[in-house]
Amino acid sequence: MTAAVLSAPIGREAAPGGPMLVALLLAPIAVLNAIGFLLPVLNLAVMSFQEVQASGAMTGGWSTAKWQAVATDSFYWELLGNSIRTSLVITLLTLVVSYPIALYLHRSTGLWRSLLLVLVISPLLLSAVVRTYGWIAILSDQGLVNAALKAFGAREPWRLMFNLTGVTIGLTEILIPYMILALLAGFGRLDARVEEAAATLGAPPFKVFWRVVVPLSLPGVALGSLLTFVLAVSSFITPKLLGGGRVFLLATEVYDQSIVNLDWPLAATLSIVVLVVFGVAIALYGRILKSVG
Amino acid sequence: MNRRSFAVSAVVLAFGFAAAPAGAQQTVTVMAYSGLFQDRYTAAVIEPFEKANPGIKVTYAPQQSSAAMIGQLRAQKAAPQADVVIMDVSVAKAGTDEGLYVKLDDKVLPVIADLYPNARFPDVAGVAVTFDNLVMIYNTEAFPTPPKALTALADPANKGKVVIPGIPDIQGLSLIAILDRKNGGPGVDGKFEKGIEAMAPIAPNVQTWEPKPEVYAPVIAGQATIGIGWNARAQVNSDTSGGKLKAVIPEEGTAFQINVINLVAGAPQPEAAKKFIAYALSPEAQKAFTESMFYAPTNAKAQIDAKAIDRTAVKFLDKVVPIDWLAVAKVRDQVAEQWRRRVIPLSR
Repeated sequence: MTAAVLSAPIGREAAPGGPMLVALLLAPIAVLNAIGFLLPVLNLAVMSFQEVQASGAMTGGWSTAKWQAVATDSFYWELLGNSIRTSLVITLLTLVVSYPIALYLHRSTGLWRSLLLVLVISPLLLSAVVRTYGWIAILSDQGLVNAALKAFGAREPWRLMFNLTGVTIGLTEILIPYMILALLAGFGRLDARVEEAAATLGAPPFKVFWRVVVPLSLPGVALGSLLTFVLAVSSFITPKLLGGGRVFLLATEVYDQSIVNLDWPLAATLSIVVLVVFGVAIALYGRILKSVG
Repeated sequence: MNRRSFAVSAVVLAFGFAAAPAGAQQTVTVMAYSGLFQDRYTAAVIEPFEKANPGIKVTYAPQQSSAAMIGQLRAQKAAPQADVVIMDVSVAKAGTDEGLYVKLDDKVLPVIADLYPNARFPDVAGVAVTFDNLVMIYNTEAFPTPPKALTALADPANKGKVVIPGIPDIQGLSLIAILDRKNGGPGVDGKFEKGIEAMAPIAPNVQTWEPKPEVYAPVIAGQATIGIGWNARAQVNSDTSGGKLKAVIPEEGTAFQINVINLVAGAPQPEAAKKFIAYALSPEAQKAFTESMFYAPTNAKAQIDAKAIDRTAVKFLDKVVPIDWLAVAKVRDQVAEQWRRRVIPLSR
């Protein structure tokens, strides 16, 4: 199956050395992907059709009960809606916060640029769990934010944690480095000379930004948004720690069903639903890229 | 002769050594909970067992939860690595149905005849090795007079300070079962209707339904002041925090959480494993672990120190609300749905 795909000529002309060489060069990654990705996904698909007893025992029967439940129970549609909505909000917030940082980074040079890059990447050196606990310390009722609010005379602490607000704040911060790196990668076509040309033709700064900079940076925006969205949909540690059991998302439900309720087939079914969401997101990204590219 | 011993003998013959004497070092792998349980169980049960049986070494395979254990066992079904598994009774039922365990009874291990009747289950392969029970935990600075009843969770004075591991966690399920019974509810057949209702005044006070890593730390730190937890861990946390946290069996009642000890089908070392299980159930080991971690013993002959027994549920058996976890499993999804629709929104 893959061999036929791999041996098709790539780009405008077949590679030197012929299709055999191409297939040979691509074989290692294809095999790795088959073992590391396709096989587990197939396994999940099979698992989702297994019969499961109330106790969680899987004694070998087959059943479509979990798919029926996911298709007909409004709770799972709510989960899907919650997950997509929350992830879109997080993606948008991340984009708004990251864009100016990435733009500044793109324009800075030399040692200053290296230093800033290190600063941007450094949060990735810490595990998301540790950073989430950091947010718990900041957002709790006796935390930094509420202490400041209290100093300004707030009587009731703001509920910033163990709810959707906390999940949104935490995930936005955690995903910012990914967004900045993706934006930087997509800012390749941004050229200072183009902006200068627009300025010499009499465009005020904001117009230059809106009519020149933004359109040229759209591929970066699309890539960063896709990456952030996919990471937001699939993250479960941060929603688990900051959601306080009030926020129901696909990823947290997969965790609960597999680890707490021992309902592996349902967890597998929901995992496939998450994969479908990814597929749709990537298809949309492809279309958007065509229209802005 | 299995493959491994064949390989060993082949190596031994090839090098011309005398074959290893019978009773050479055997290794038993025990899969059980990580963290506090691992530390205390190793000191109270595993090390004394190794001392008494110099020929047997015990390897502890720590796991986060019973579900993680069953995942391991399913993956290793063709070639089991673990000999003995300690896990929650409801998950052990699933393992039994999947044929992962060997049925244990007093014909296999005579010590099983000495266990309390409620430590043996007709349709679970293993037998109970620890009894834990639900308690109300509170911060002693916030409560100079100890709270006595679950109604304290609904007291407006504790708004935003209550921590409850909610459904699907079995602590949340136990709480609902206790409240349901207190209010003359329909029990498991009626999906704990009255228990769900009784959560209405409690829900607005709840800070989090998912205290992480566990419910005890936020109460010790004072981030929360009152909540629900398991007795054994609460007692240990009470000691290690210098009394900042204390536990009480609420007036409305309590419920058991039962860990069973299981012999894995196709275990690499079945004989040594049986020896270990027999020791784990012996009065001596039961006494040592109860005095170390305050799980109530399952062996009726265990002579526990009075100070330790007072910190278990043994003297409060009249308060234990019986919960048939296997029956609960059948209605769990409907109960969870009621919980999500009627309890969680009140806490937002």
